[in-house]
Amino acid sequence: MELQAMYIQVLALILLIIGLATVLSRRNVFFILMGIELALNAVNLSIIGFSKTFAAAASVTGQIIPLFTIAVAAAEACVGLAVIILIVRNQHSVDIDNYSNMRG
Amino acid sequence: MIPLWLIPLFPLIGSIVLALIALASSESKKGADEGLVGFIGVLFPALAFVATAILAANMPESGFREVIGSWIDIQVFSADFGFLFDGLSRTMLLFITGIATLIILYSTGYMHGDRGFARFFAYMNLFLFSMTVLVLSDSLPLTFLGWEGVGLCSYLLIGFWNKDIKNCKAANKAFIVNRVGDVGFLLGMLALVSVGGSSLLSYPELAAWLVDPKMGEALIAGMPLLSLAGLLFFFGCTGKSAQIPLLTWLPDAMAGPTPVSALIHAATMVTAGVYLLARLSPLFAILPDVLMVVTIVGAATAFWAAVAGLLQNDIKKVLAYSTISQLGYMFMAAGVAAFDVSIFHVFTHAFFKAALFLGAGAVMHSLAGEQDMRKMGGLVHKTPVTAIVMLFAYLAIIGFPLFSGFFSKDLILERLYMSAPVSGPILYGIALLTAVITAVYMTRLMILTFLGKYRGNICESKIHEAPLSMTFPMVVLAIGAAFAGYFWVVLGQGTNCFATWLSPVLKVPQTIAHIGAESVEGPSAMVFAALGTFAAIIGVFIAWKLYAKRVPAPKGDTTPTGSAADWTFFFDKLHNVCGVLPTRFCSWFLDAVINKLVMFIQWFFGALALILGDGIRSFQVRKIRMQMGLSFAGMILVVIVVALCGGSF
Repeated sequence: MELQAMYIQVLALILLIIGLATVLSRRNVFFILMGIELALNAVNLSIIGFSKTFAAAASVTGQIIPLFTIAVAAAEACVGLAVIILIVRNQHSVDIDNYSNMRG
Repeated sequence: MIPLWLIPLFPLIGSIVLALIALASSESKKGADEGLVGFIGVLFPALAFVATAILAANMPESGFREVIGSWIDIQVFSADFGFLFDGLSRTMLLFITGIATLIILYSTGYMHGDRGFARFFAYMNLFLFSMTVLVLSDSLPLTFLGWEGVGLCSYLLIGFWNKDIKNCKAANKAFIVNRVGDVGFLLGMLALVSVGGSSLLSYPELAAWLVDPKMGEALIAGMPLLSLAGLLFFFGCTGKSAQIPLLTWLPDAMAGPTPVSALIHAATMVTAGVYLLARLSPLFAILPDVLMVVTIVGAATAFWAAVAGLLQNDIKKVLAYSTISQLGYMFMAAGVAAFDVSIFHVFTHAFFKAALFLGAGAVMHSLAGEQDMRKMGGLVHKTPVTAIVMLFAYLAIIGFPLFSGFFSKDLILERLYMSAPVSGPILYGIALLTAVITAVYMTRLMILTFLGKYRGNICESKIHEAPLSMTFPMVVLAIGAAFAGYFWVVLGQGTNCFATWLSPVLKVPQTIAHIGAESVEGPSAMVFAALGTFAAIIGVFIAWKLYAKRVPAPKGDTTPTGSAADWTFFFDKLHNVCGVLPTRFCSWFLDAVINKLVMFIQWFFGALALILGDGIRSFQVRKIRMQMGLSFAGMILVVIVVALCGGSF
């Protein structure tokens, strides 16, 4: 059975929504970071899916871009984790609702 | 040939050096060394005088112009720093720098021991700088710069003794009233520019433009604006030269030190208005209606101030009103297009009025600052030099034959008579009557000050003659007051020095102004001279009868009371009604209505913003996940809208 391009997009959408839902619903900052990573990878998946749909010349680009994105996302995840660890040390809490310093 | 800008440069250097000295010595208890300060203070005006004299001796007949650089250069307007040295500015500069040098020399004696000695001389030099710029400039903007500069120095020097609030008030009054006139000057420049572009602000180009036959149509089209410009310039002159309606500041300006009154408020600054009229004579020559206004205002001022001078008890106030009255004579002469005669009266008046003021200063000096004439008397025995100087100047101002005032006043009267068939003799009558009153109040001043018995309460042995530094300039000025008039008299081969000097500048306008006027057959010059002398003698006789025996008792302060006060302060009251009250009303209106309206608008929008902000703030703070949710929702909304509208939204 040939893999339909549509299914890949639907899977990517589901992954994205799961990621966003995690970001919105969880209070633990590590889970939020994971949610963000999930949403990012959903986008990668979507691009790969589209590379099947389009003509051959463009499709190679679609295969390559996610590779770059994964590399950059790895670096970004490092930095993000470091920032979060610093915040957690500073605030003594992993609850994102405690991080606001705004009054009112 | 030395450059022209040296003339204003010398006093400028002087004022800067003296200002630095004044600043440096402001901490020390004793103040700066008076010898040094006095030397610098006199040196630079004297250098300016020498420079002027050298330039005047080598000047070509038609004068010359020197442009230093560009001042304002934008598309719609351009002005240069340019100086113009011709017959008119040469005459003015010679006596301005000369008399200024003498009066500053006098000040070294008069201001002896004053705490602000260096400051005073810095101001005086700054004044001389501004005045030379005013006279020397070749365009109206630069003249305006000098015009404002002399106004500033006048303000600084009237309020020189600023410990007394009265002096500060007098200084403020002089400054503010002058500003009212300056509005006229500025608007006049604006009117000229709107008629023919910014090149018209330069005097030679204005004169050339007005007689250019190619510009005939533009000239006729611009006539209403030109008349307006003439009136506005005259309004500026009334402010600076203390004419009706802006004359009330000059008597109050006597709060300043006496040399200031002599230099600024008698000899030089107040004559700037007359100078401006003469400088703009090409413009005024084609505006007979404006000249009529000038004449009427001059006549009214001369008469009013003469009567007001009759009622004063303060020796300096008498001289102040006398100055206003003499300025009225000058404006009358300018009004009948006798610009050369008006400048001649400026010239002689500078000598005799400066001598009178310096004499008054010497009297005050010897009486420890007493200004009330009712507490003087008999000073001829105590201060003979001052008395003789004052006598010379007195004979000059009342127009006694063969003294300088006789020639200039007589010429003005003659030109007034000749100006028109009907109005001429009427003006002549007013001027002659004013001459009688002049003789009365001046004789009264002399009698009360020098004759009779001493009526003051200072020990008589303490009354002393002024030092040499004061008497020397007085004597020089007295000689000038006696003989300055001979510049006009036909000397040698039938040439008239003064008129010849001025004729390259003033001849053309005066000829233009008299085109079409009916020539009046008057009596011969001797008749006018005889009538003028007669007026002076009558005035002296009346004053002798009135005041020689009956001396008013010294009581109260020197301000007139009763109906005399009504007459004297009439224009103060008029200013209150016409100027101060409307301004007060406007400011009340602005405060009560406009301000409240603006505040209402401001509060309305402020409150609106506050309420909205309070509402929206509840979505904003402390709820990070909610904010993220909202931003996702917004993004989804955008996607939906784009999808529904097909991207064409």
